[in-house]
Amino acid sequence: MDYIGQGFREALKLLISLDKEVFKIVSLSILVSSSATIFASLISIPLGVYFGIKRFRGKRMFSRITYTMMSVPSVVVGLVVAIILSRRGPFGQFDLLYTKKAMIIAQTILVIPLVFGLTYGLAKSRGDIIDRVAFTLGANKFHTVILIIRELKIDILVNIATAFSRAISEVGAVMIVGGNIKGYTRVITTTISMMNSMGDYPMAIALGLVLILISFVIHSLIYSYSQED
Amino acid sequence: MEVRIENLKKFYGDRQVLQIEGLTIEKGEITAITGPNGCGKTTLLNIIAGLDRGFLGDIKYNGRQLSRDIVDKMTLVLQKPYLFRRTVFENIEYPLKIRGINKTGRKPLVDNLAKGLEIENLMEKKAHLLSGGESQKVALARALVFEPELLLLDEPTSNIDPDAIGILERQILNFNEETASTVIIVTHNMEQAKRLGHRIIELAYIE
Repeated sequence: MDYIGQGFREALKLLISLDKEVFKIVSLSILVSSSATIFASLISIPLGVYFGIKRFRGKRMFSRITYTMMSVPSVVVGLVVAIILSRRGPFGQFDLLYTKKAMIIAQTILVIPLVFGLTYGLAKSRGDIIDRVAFTLGANKFHTVILIIRELKIDILVNIATAFSRAISEVGAVMIVGGNIKGYTRVITTTISMMNSMGDYPMAIALGLVLILISFVIHSLIYSYSQED
Repeated sequence: MEVRIENLKKFYGDRQVLQIEGLTIEKGEITAITGPNGCGKTTLLNIIAGLDRGFLGDIKYNGRQLSRDIVDKMTLVLQKPYLFRRTVFENIEYPLKIRGINKTGRKPLVDNLAKGLEIENLMEKKAHLLSGGESQKVALARALVFEPELLLLDEPTSNIDPDAIGILERQILNFNEETASTVIIVTHNMEQAKRLGHRIIELAYIE
């Protein structure tokens, strides 16, 4: 049992000493997942609001498909992106497989349905009254979407944080398209997975603690902002 | 703006809630619509405002079908107004902002209405934290600020104190006099209908 305690002690030492490797892995994880979350949010939030308030035939079926897509497995996304980016795939000439860009693409595709689905559900339930008021004041669809995003910004921020948490904590997609190459595409989750299989716990525990800390900081910031608002 | 309604029928499922064979709301007049709860007053207002398109019949605005430019010239103040989560000033200026009027052009228009409705002291407050009466005044100011040709009001003075009712009514009358805009006000209060309306229309339940 002592190896667990020892693992924690060594993990803390790694964090306190600002170990270069840990620092590099953590920064890459944040870079990849935050980029993916930003790209996914820019695409999905306006679309989620637009479809959430729009009345159209087949909206129930559309909702079901949307909510199903939210839980698409990360390994499936990783596999699809890897096939597309592989040398024989349609985007093979760009030589993106096993790069940071490939990891960002995979995570963006992974969280787009999540951000879209959460925003869509939010706009569907709470956007209607704002849509009606905006219409009576002469707002067009573009103005209305912007207005709803502003009105529901706290909830949307929570959705973005949820998407970021999903991105930074997934291992399947980044492992497949990134390849867990040391110093290049190695991120927190792929390192934890690898260290676990090697029986090297201090580094895995240290990175696990960082992962929890990142999540805590983000949600605390959003909570403080929502309290201020 | 003149509004002409012909053969209007509205159903909720199998239940018919509205039937108007012919009705003209005259340009520049204040028309008060009264009637018992559930007789379709708010439904009629929503239909005229273009919020409810699920009806049979025909509505013409200055002889034309509802279109984007007509929507831009009319507005509806809801019974329970929804104010945006921003300051009172930003709420009132919103219709001007989306019409591309610059900040220097917006300010005097907003200030003038704020003065008329006695809400100058609320301008920097968060609108969604106001009382019922204050919210009604802000909602009316937001509706009047772009001088709509057709103003639709759904029970604009329900659940507010008599002083605030007086201020709102005065503002509605001034607006109608100064701009010759058409006003349709739904109210269950017959005294208010008499005070404001050039014409009173009483809706009844459909047997």
